[in-house]
Amino acid sequence: MSHGHSHAKGPTGPQKISLPRIRNVIAVASGKGGVGKSTVTINLGMSLAKTGAKVGILDADIYGPSLPMMMGINQRPEAKGERVVPPQKDGVKLMSMGFLVEEKQAVVWRGPMVHGALTQFLNQVEWGDLDYLLIDMPPGTGDAQLTISQNAPLTGAIIVTTPQEISLLDARRGLMMFQNVKVPVLGVVENMAGFVCSHCNGVTKIFRQGGGSRIASEMNIPLLASIPLDPAVAEGGDKGLPIVIGNKDSEVSKIYTQLAKDVIAQAAIYEGGFRPLRLEWK
Amino acid sequence: MSALAAVELRQMGPSNLGIIWNDKHNSIYSVRNLRLECKCANCVDEWTRAKILKPESVPADVKPVLIESVGRYALQIQWSDGHNTGIYPFDALRALCECPTCKKA
Repeated sequence: MSHGHSHAKGPTGPQKISLPRIRNVIAVASGKGGVGKSTVTINLGMSLAKTGAKVGILDADIYGPSLPMMMGINQRPEAKGERVVPPQKDGVKLMSMGFLVEEKQAVVWRGPMVHGALTQFLNQVEWGDLDYLLIDMPPGTGDAQLTISQNAPLTGAIIVTTPQEISLLDARRGLMMFQNVKVPVLGVVENMAGFVCSHCNGVTKIFRQGGGSRIASEMNIPLLASIPLDPAVAEGGDKGLPIVIGNKDSEVSKIYTQLAKDVIAQAAIYEGGFRPLRLEWK
Repeated sequence: MSALAAVELRQMGPSNLGIIWNDKHNSIYSVRNLRLECKCANCVDEWTRAKILKPESVPADVKPVLIESVGRYALQIQWSDGHNTGIYPFDALRALCECPTCKKA
């Protein structure tokens, strides 16, 4: 690291995120908040784990981390030297900023702090060997999203949207951000596509229909799933019991099982396609 | 389906960089030209895109120290003059190719 400059601190510039023991790193993103991205991430993660895969979830929503509560994890990660060992539940390891800040404390950070915290966070977690690491991205296209899509070795991204036009508009922005940094978009998940009546199990279309398939065909990417809103999903989230664990036989759980299979197939297309380059000049 | 990406970096003598792309094209660059083409906010005005960097301020023998990937879409170069904020997206980098075929086009 000595190349003769008093100001040089070795290889500087943005710190690289290296995750050599993880086969697939998949970002779960949405253009806007409130589309159920965290719910989709957790249920997808647990459905992937049910196929026998080793799965981790990183809650990258550093301003409003909600995954520990939704997964029902109360124990904090253990420190192992400089590394942090994530707690595990239902076969899924979870790391969240929520473990590091008090529940009622707000995280008020400027962009550069977000970047530093996320990079350090990603580099210090002791995931072990994983087949899939899902990154629950914060909504929007700001600093955190850029840090991850620019610096993490992403296999691809999944975009979660609701069927309404306003959500689609933001989903398009999210899509374009990934396209700009050449991260493959594995597909779109349309969430809250209709409402499951708890009395008759019939599905009522409460929003406009077909938005997910429209954006998918417009951007030439697959529509991976269309998931109806089931009150049991929200209830499960609040109780820390995701629907694919709490109500395995529900229609929504079956959709997640299929989604997991489709994500595995899509990720396989791009797996290993990313090989970081490095050249030291002589 | 797959986007343009560099698959191999090679030092070609003291002052040339070779890049092999996923479409099999072989590019060659004079490293000083790459330094002068830096599009970071210190070298190019972010609003007007006017060049701020003065070529005479860059040492004639400027060389990379380390070249690394940025995600899937770009390279970042640390230079012997201490500069390291420039990111070279693959599309832009390819457009700068100095091989005889690309120069003619």
